[in-house]
Order: sequence, then structure tokens, then C-alpha cells
Amino acid sequence: MSQSLSKQEKMRIVSNFILLSPPGEFNEVFNDVRGLLRDDNLLKEEVGLATAQHNKEQFIPCKIEGSDKKVLITEHGDKGGGKFYDPHTKQTFKYDHLRKVTSDVKSGKSDQVSEPWRSALEMALFTYTENHFSKGTTSVYGSTSPDGTITLISCTESHEFNAKNYWNGRWRSQWSTSFKPSQKTAELSGILKIQVHYYEEGNVQLVSSKEVKETLDITNEADTAKAFCQLVLNAESEYQTATAENYQTMSNTTFKALRRALPITKAKIDWAKIAGFNIGRELKKTA
Amino acid sequence: MEDPQLDCALDLMRRLPPQKIESNLSNLIELVPHLCENLLSAVDQPLKVARDKAVGKDYLLCDYNRDGDSYRSPWTNQYDPPLPDGAMPSERLRRLEVEANSAFDQYREMYFEGGVSSVYLWDLDHGFAGVLLIKKAGDGSNKIKGCWDSIHVVEVNEKSSGRAAHYKLTSTAMLWLQTTKTGSGTMNLGGSLTRQAEIEANVGESSPHIANIGRMVEDMENKIRNTLNDIYFSKTKDIVNGLRSTSSAADNKQRDMLKKDLANALHKRNQPAAN
Repeated sequence: MSQSLSKQEKMRIVSNFILLSPPGEFNEVFNDVRGLLRDDNLLKEEVGLATAQHNKEQFIPCKIEGSDKKVLITEHGDKGGGKFYDPHTKQTFKYDHLRKVTSDVKSGKSDQVSEPWRSALEMALFTYTENHFSKGTTSVYGSTSPDGTITLISCTESHEFNAKNYWNGRWRSQWSTSFKPSQKTAELSGILKIQVHYYEEGNVQLVSSKEVKETLDITNEADTAKAFCQLVLNAESEYQTATAENYQTMSNTTFKALRRALPITKAKIDWAKIAGFNIGRELKKTA
Repeated sequence: MEDPQLDCALDLMRRLPPQKIESNLSNLIELVPHLCENLLSAVDQPLKVARDKAVGKDYLLCDYNRDGDSYRSPWTNQYDPPLPDGAMPSERLRRLEVEANSAFDQYREMYFEGGVSSVYLWDLDHGFAGVLLIKKAGDGSNKIKGCWDSIHVVEVNEKSSGRAAHYKLTSTAMLWLQTTKTGSGTMNLGGSLTRQAEIEANVGESSPHIANIGRMVEDMENKIRNTLNDIYFSKTKDIVNGLRSTSSAADNKQRDMLKKDLANALHKRNQPAAN
């Protein structure tokens, strides 16, 4: 006999489901969860945190007034209290996580020490994104720690939603490096993620991720940005190519070995033979 | 009557990553315990294998051969752990079940060349129903782990004459592929597709129930296999390549312009010379 769950336990499960929403299907998952929980007050109170976390993890792109480019919702731009920062226009804005709308755009402050490095990198990465992610958005963040270490973080998101044909997909990549300008090299770390969901009369998902570590040459702002970009291009192309190779192997080898298209006789089964004319032992209506 | 909460639950299971079916289903049942029985029978999970030690053969577990916490083996018709009064098919149905298991064992061998299969039947008012389960795991070559699970549920409604029947088939094929490699990282491609079919067929000497069901299952599985091939290795791959292009848009534009210039130059050259 199962005991009724406490409100806390229910919300833990609900939050977990929300965090697992596939790209483009947050609303559907939210509505399902709402129908199952049947407690709108509890939902309203508790679901905010999971929703915000999901948006930040998914790198949701949004448009703000006064900007030619979209900006990503990420943990790096989270200023607390529902406010986020756009490093490209150096503005802050309020973000409604549930409705996914921006408001209250105000001018913000950028970090002076890292800004030349950040803006050079942003320029290079915007070109890279235009060239390789036709539906993509990039946000580049810069910060400086008290000891003078500069940290640059770039986030890229690209998605395609096609609910009419029962599929959605999203690419996310995040690259970061920390260095003092006097250094010759620094470590460049990358995380690449792909998720695709196909759901016409079924549920098929591709969940893929890769971590990358490269060595970045630190020179001046412009050349470092160029080198950063080149490493990103090489690594992301390698990931995409290797993924395509896997598809090839999976389809030509692994899949075929699981189930043949036809038996080795090259003909379908002779069921009369297999069923063996077992009339006597067959299930009869009259018995 | 449809329970709107059941609709929500099933829609949710169609959206959450199938890679986490078991934990998602168990969380879902905790959230809406009154739907437990419905969910266990409606949501397909990767099949679990058990060993019938009496005959040294494997069999597959599902809700249809479960009673409490025990499962009935199709080979010995015994429950494990033992259940003195566990649900059993009627004697006549058990005889058909034995034949079905033997027939589909051969089917499994011819298409899967390995793996495990099990058939479980149960009585209905005007006929009977059954489930055919097949599980085949890959050998892990090329560093790719693969697994196929088939779940075919058939409902047989016998006409009063006994010489014809109406068959309704609901088939789910689950395909799981995962690999971890330096170039591509961790790649997990998994899930399932479900299809239905209905036919009326004569029942007699040359087409007993097992033959009619066998033909339906074979055609259905062949169709689903093709669709799985398309969806998994074409469709999802195309979606990935739509998210990021390996070639640069600037390079593409330059190449297109060059192509155009060349075409124009050729065209001019091929014009008849002016007198």
C-alpha cells in the first residue's frame, strides 16, 4: 500500500520532469505536470526554480529592445531576482521564465579589464556563428577576478522546432578560458551538447555530449580571439563529423546485426510450415 | 472512459527522454498511484530477462506474465518465486501457448539469429489475447552497444462459426544504441515506435491462428524495421545537420558566386562570334 507523497516529494518529482523537458516542449510538459499534480497553488509556488534552471541550462535565446542580436539566458548572465545581463549591448533586463518574455531593459555595467578581450572574442565568434549556425545565437561573457585573472565564456545555442512534424532539436556549446594577459598559453575547455526529439507515433531521442580541452595561445586581444575561434571551429567540426560517422556505423553494422531485413533464405517465413498444421491441438470453439 | 490524468501521463512519457524510462515511470507512478496498473500495462519498458533454471532457458518479463511479484515462465508454466494460486491460462490455451512459443522461437531465430522470445496468452470472452516479446542485444562490436526489444500485443476475436477471426495487433519496437568514443563523445540514440494493424482472416487447417498472427507480426515488424532505419539514421541525423553546418556559409556564398561567374563566362564563350 503506497502512502500519499508529501508536497515536498511531489514537487521534487515535478521539478525533475520539468528539467527533463526536451527542446521546444516545455509548455507541453508543464501542462502535463499541471494535469497530474492538480494543485495549482503548489505548482505556482514551487515550479519557478525548476523553470528558471531549465531555461538557463537550455540557453534559451530572447530578444531585447535596442539590440540587433538575440541574447541567451544562461547562468553566466544571471544577475539574480529574475534579471539577466546582455554582454553585447551591456544592458540588463527582466526575464519572465514561464512566459519567456523580456522587459524592463536598462543600461548595465561591463567589466573594464576584460572588456577589450571579450569584445574582440565576441566579434570573432559572431562571424563564426553566422557562418555555421544559421539559426544560432551566441553570448560572450567576460569577467576579472581580484588577482587580475580574466575569464572569457562563450555560449552558443541553435535550435529548430517543428511540432507540426513531431520533431525538435537543439545544439548547445560552451567554451571557457581563464588567464592572466602575461601568460603564453591557457587551457580552453569546451562542452558540446546535442538533443533531438522525434515523436510521431513514438518517442525517439538523440542525447549526445562531448567535453573538449585544448591549449589556447595568449597574445593580444584580436589574435587570441582568432585562435580561440579556430580551436572552436576545429573541435566542433570534429564532433559533428565523428557523430555522422557513428550514424553510418550504427546503421550499416550495429542495426543490421540486431535484426535482419529478411531471413537468410531471402524470403518471408512459410507460416503454414512453422505452425505445422496442428489442427488437432488447436484451440477449438466447441470443446 | 478515458481518464484525463492518464492522457497527461502518457503524453509526458512520450516527451521525456526514453533513455530514462524506468526512473521516469517509477516517479510518475509515485505521483499518481491510482494510475499504477494502467501505466504499467500502457507504458512499454525495455524487457527484462529471467532464467528458468528447471530447463536452462531464458524468458522475458512483462505485465502479462506477472502476478504480484512473481513471473510465469512460458517453458514450464511455473511462477518464480512460486505462487500456489497464480493466474494461469486455461489448459486449452496453454497448449496453444506452447505451440506459439515454439513457432515464434523459430521466427526469432530466422530474423534475429539470437536473442530471447516469449509468448503469453490469456482468455477473452470471444477469443483470446496474447503478447509476443523479443529481445536481442548486440555484441558490442565497433564500441557500440545496441539492443532491440519487440512487444506485440494481439487481440483475437473469434467469429461464432469458428472459421474466421478478427485480429487486432499493437506493436512497439524499441531500439537502443549508445557509444562513447573520443571523437564523438557520448552518443545515445534510443526510443521506440508504435504501430497498429487489424485484419479479418479465415481460420482453418492451412491458416490456423498462429499462422495468421505470425504473418501479421512478420509484416508489421518488417515495416517498423524500415521506419526505425529511416527515423533513427536519416531523420535525426538530418535534424542534427540542420542545427550546425560543417561548411561555412561565407565559403558557400563565395563558391556559388564563382559557379555563377563560370557559368556566365561559358555562356558568353558559346555565343556565336559577331561578324
